[in-house]
Amino acid sequence: MNNFTEELVDDLAAKLLIGLSKEENKMVLDEFIIIDDNLSKVANFPNINEIEPMTHTLDDFTFTLREDAINDSILIEDALRNCEKVEGREVEVPKVVGGDS
Amino acid sequence: MDKTIEDLHNLLKKGEVNSQELISESLKKSHEIQDKYNAFVTILDNAKETKVTDNLLSGIPFGIKDNYSTKDILSTGSSNSLKNYIPFFNATAVEKLLSVGAVPVNKTVLDEFGMGGTGTTGHTGIVKNPWDPTRMTAGSSAGSACAVAAGVYPYALGSDTGDSIRKPAAYCGIVGYKPTYGMISRFGLFPFASSLDTCGVLTRSVRDAAIVVDTMKGIDERDMTTWDSSNINLYKNITGDVKGKRLCYIKELCDINLYPNSNEELKLHLKNFMEKLETFKSLGIEIDEVSVDKKLLDALPSVYVAISCAEATSNMSNLTGIIFGPRGNGANVMEMMMDHRTKGFSPLIKRRFIIGSYILQKENQERYFKNAQRVRRLLVDTWKKLFERYDAVILPVGSGPAKHLDGSKDILTKDTAALEEHLQVGNFGGFPSITIPDGFVANLPVALNITGNCYDDENLLNIAYALESSMDYKNQIAKEVK
Repeated sequence: MNNFTEELVDDLAAKLLIGLSKEENKMVLDEFIIIDDNLSKVANFPNINEIEPMTHTLDDFTFTLREDAINDSILIEDALRNCEKVEGREVEVPKVVGGDS
Repeated sequence: MDKTIEDLHNLLKKGEVNSQELISESLKKSHEIQDKYNAFVTILDNAKETKVTDNLLSGIPFGIKDNYSTKDILSTGSSNSLKNYIPFFNATAVEKLLSVGAVPVNKTVLDEFGMGGTGTTGHTGIVKNPWDPTRMTAGSSAGSACAVAAGVYPYALGSDTGDSIRKPAAYCGIVGYKPTYGMISRFGLFPFASSLDTCGVLTRSVRDAAIVVDTMKGIDERDMTTWDSSNINLYKNITGDVKGKRLCYIKELCDINLYPNSNEELKLHLKNFMEKLETFKSLGIEIDEVSVDKKLLDALPSVYVAISCAEATSNMSNLTGIIFGPRGNGANVMEMMMDHRTKGFSPLIKRRFIIGSYILQKENQERYFKNAQRVRRLLVDTWKKLFERYDAVILPVGSGPAKHLDGSKDILTKDTAALEEHLQVGNFGGFPSITIPDGFVANLPVALNITGNCYDDENLLNIAYALESSMDYKNQIAKEVK
């Protein structure tokens, strides 16, 4: 049995910084019931726990570390060009410590 | 623009047409298609001709899915959360095409961040199928499939995490090719689920797909999953000789008797598929029926949702509206981020993030995430065993032609058939996989797919070319049938 409830969905959404309508909450619950049902069957596969979880797509892939090299970094102006509020070379946000905003 | 890349190149080289004329025709067609089917986020009306060289792609227009970063060009991922985002760099795959003189003329609509299979969840609205505007294109490479099928240009870029190139290609009557994982760099592609995401292309012929991917592929130090494919030459190795090749299809997916509630479209789709297999045998290909554990196949859609949601939740955590994207309202940073994410994400995306977050919680990981990864391995090992005996697995795509738009909820329901979702195995194993049209049902295109072993792309495309050549659906342009 899973403990996937309306309250839990709202709690998860809040942690993800996402607001949900009642309808959106219900969509999550409805879909999760199906996923939970199917994965419950999976949990009953013979010797499932003995199978190594597949974490990498290509089993034979070997990662090659390149030599350290000094490369040009991106321009601050480029990094900030999609930011709506900028002060000089920095991202502007409301005051985080002290004060009202 | 209804011609193949090779034909267009020959016309350019002979001087019978120039690059600017092709671009003008493609832009004119783009606006017509946009009015009818809503395929584009951006049309690049200022696209300029390039020098025609010996490279087959030089001077020829193409489309780019809007989840590829394009320098100084709006790149939205079809999401309100990036509706004003303009990258300062090109995705490597785009850069490679530009370097040979290919000319982008538009950015195409996708399901938001590639996380859907209907073509209905992009922030600019629903993409309609050019064969029948009451039907969906499928997704997520919806606009690319629509535009290629409608004859805007010979190819458009797609990305494929579950079947996002190969399903829309099927619904639109064209070719969709997802190469082996890591063959094309994903640097600059907006990430969805990193262990599954693959760049690829939608075209109207197998040879065109080979030409484009030959240019897009290659090792890239900015994507550590890429590998050296310099010994692979897809285009030059298409010979059409397939004598002695071996294919298999899976009984549990293809036997109509296993679908007691099947509709007429499914029956005709499977009948057409089985008839085509007989045709292919006459090419000298051996085709066998094999069995795969039905329980394993039935678990496939949930395994995909579990893994893709978990990876997406992690990948999308940088979408806050602080450094890029529209700023949310709020008295502090947390409120601003919450406002941005609440307004910026569609219900579909929110659902995926929440399920992913739940699955990744420490107390749930074993039951959901790790078990999904274990079944992923079982599925991949099953296919790899088949590849010990067969060159490729051949299967029908989906349960028939394009579905009606009014039924497009894109929600995983209990009756979701493995038949609809089996292409996801191609992503689980990183296998090369290509969809080609194989007929018509209800006057709409249907398709088959062949999936081969990793790194065996040359063999796969050669087989696909032979099958394509034995049918009559190469380089077809969509004609509205309703």
